[in-house]
Amino acid sequence: MNTEQVRGALAAAGVAGVLSVDPFEGIAARVRFDPTSATGVFTAVRDKLGFVHLSTVGGIDWVERYEVFYLLWSDPAKSYLLLSADLDAKNPHIETASFVWPSANWHEREAWELVGIGFDHHPDLRHLLMPDGYQFHPLQRAFKLHEPEELEVKVRHV
Amino acid sequence: MSEMWINMGPQHPMTHGLWNLRVHIDGERILDVDPEMGYLHRGIEKISEDRHYNEVITLMDRTCYVAGMAWEHLYVQAAEQALGVQPPERADWIRMMSDEFQRLASHIMWYAAFVQDLGLMSPFLYGMRDRDLILDLFQSYTGGRLTYEYMRVGGVRNDLPEGFTGRARQVLDWMEPRLVEYDRLCMGSDIFRRRCDDLGVLKADECVRLGVTGPMLRSAGSKRDIRKDRPYSRYAQVEFDVATADSADVTGRYLVRMEEMRQSIRIVRQALDWLDSHPGPVLADRLPRWLGAPYAPIGREAYLLKRNYPKGVGLSAVEEPHGEACAYVVNEGGEHPYRVKFRSPVFANLSAAKSYLVGYHVADIPPIMGSVDVCVGEVDR
Repeated sequence: MNTEQVRGALAAAGVAGVLSVDPFEGIAARVRFDPTSATGVFTAVRDKLGFVHLSTVGGIDWVERYEVFYLLWSDPAKSYLLLSADLDAKNPHIETASFVWPSANWHEREAWELVGIGFDHHPDLRHLLMPDGYQFHPLQRAFKLHEPEELEVKVRHV
Repeated sequence: MSEMWINMGPQHPMTHGLWNLRVHIDGERILDVDPEMGYLHRGIEKISEDRHYNEVITLMDRTCYVAGMAWEHLYVQAAEQALGVQPPERADWIRMMSDEFQRLASHIMWYAAFVQDLGLMSPFLYGMRDRDLILDLFQSYTGGRLTYEYMRVGGVRNDLPEGFTGRARQVLDWMEPRLVEYDRLCMGSDIFRRRCDDLGVLKADECVRLGVTGPMLRSAGSKRDIRKDRPYSRYAQVEFDVATADSADVTGRYLVRMEEMRQSIRIVRQALDWLDSHPGPVLADRLPRWLGAPYAPIGREAYLLKRNYPKGVGLSAVEEPHGEACAYVVNEGGEHPYRVKFRSPVFANLSAAKSYLVGYHVADIPPIMGSVDVCVGEVDR
């Protein structure tokens, strides 16, 4: 699958909220979309374009904005697709993809705790790698590697 | 009264690492599970943002400590795409050969640990003995047995030593009959079959839904293998078959890994033949200075490489011994990557734990988790 095919398929499906479809070396395309119409884009990409496997969800802190990206794979097309959306720096949040791709569950938990991106209506947004009650988001640029953190860990009650 | 939550881990022979499986049980029956990760979280993605491109390779060995080569390969491919560097052909073949030796070593390690969980002690010792031969080979050309730091952005650190291909063939000749022996020990045993058949079943459509990849997915009949579907390195130039099974249970995963070992031997033999007849450089010579070029570029070129190194994004995917691993490297023109994101196959395979554990008995957890092949280093990163 190439960029033109992705563009054509998205146009044919009439998906609202797609901002741009750009070429990306080695994969089908990079699709930028509007975070307010996330669920519509996810569903269309899965059902109309056939990207049923979600590889990962990640976030990037660009200081003036946040970016969240989804890496998808389609078996018939034998190619990857990258979805990305720019989020507001003040309160970065986007609708969860866990109901479209259940595998997004843990990836979103990780992106939430490490990058600080909120996933609305996530079924289980708990800490995954960091201890419960951890106050920081280590993958944000403001989190400096060489400064000691003041850490208060709440005891987990089982 | 009989319903309760119990902890299996963080110290438990089943875990093969440091993590905690919380299990909700009713008597012996599993009602719910909740894997608790993070005991081995070292913040590799964060540390990478503070290191030169080649220094990240050191961390990659620690990401999965039984499949270091595969992770190095994953990262250097993504970094090369982000930086616009092309490795020489010979380096690519050496990388592919290392990958397959690593797959062999990793699967033997899995075999040893898995059968020990089932109570078979001798195969564990056989496995560890045979794996050491591969580690000896790694030591002869990288200097390391587990953490190699061998690959570089733009190639590999050094060429193979003299007589390496001959020694490697000797190891393969030794290994092939051993695999038959392994198989006889397990598949020839009625007890093994009764223990593993129809256990931990996860069908192919469920695997795709939950992001499960690698031998777990292929044991359900899917032919998805990145080496075939999206050939990287030199995989398009070698012949091999994708191992599959159709039972989707613990036995199926066992059969897939066993067949993968045989296919790895096949790939390594072809790579050794190619390496014998094609000498050449193993490290690209046009590299930015901080990537450790063999000689520093001079004049205007050096200035350009230092000042205006082009920005870029790199994305790579490899078929790691556990499944699909992806790396995403963002190069913003500096000496350090701006952001590095890794996709670990075991992370996704573990997140689906509920669907292949619920309904079975507590005593079934060790064989099922053994067949998943957990490596905590790459889950927590």
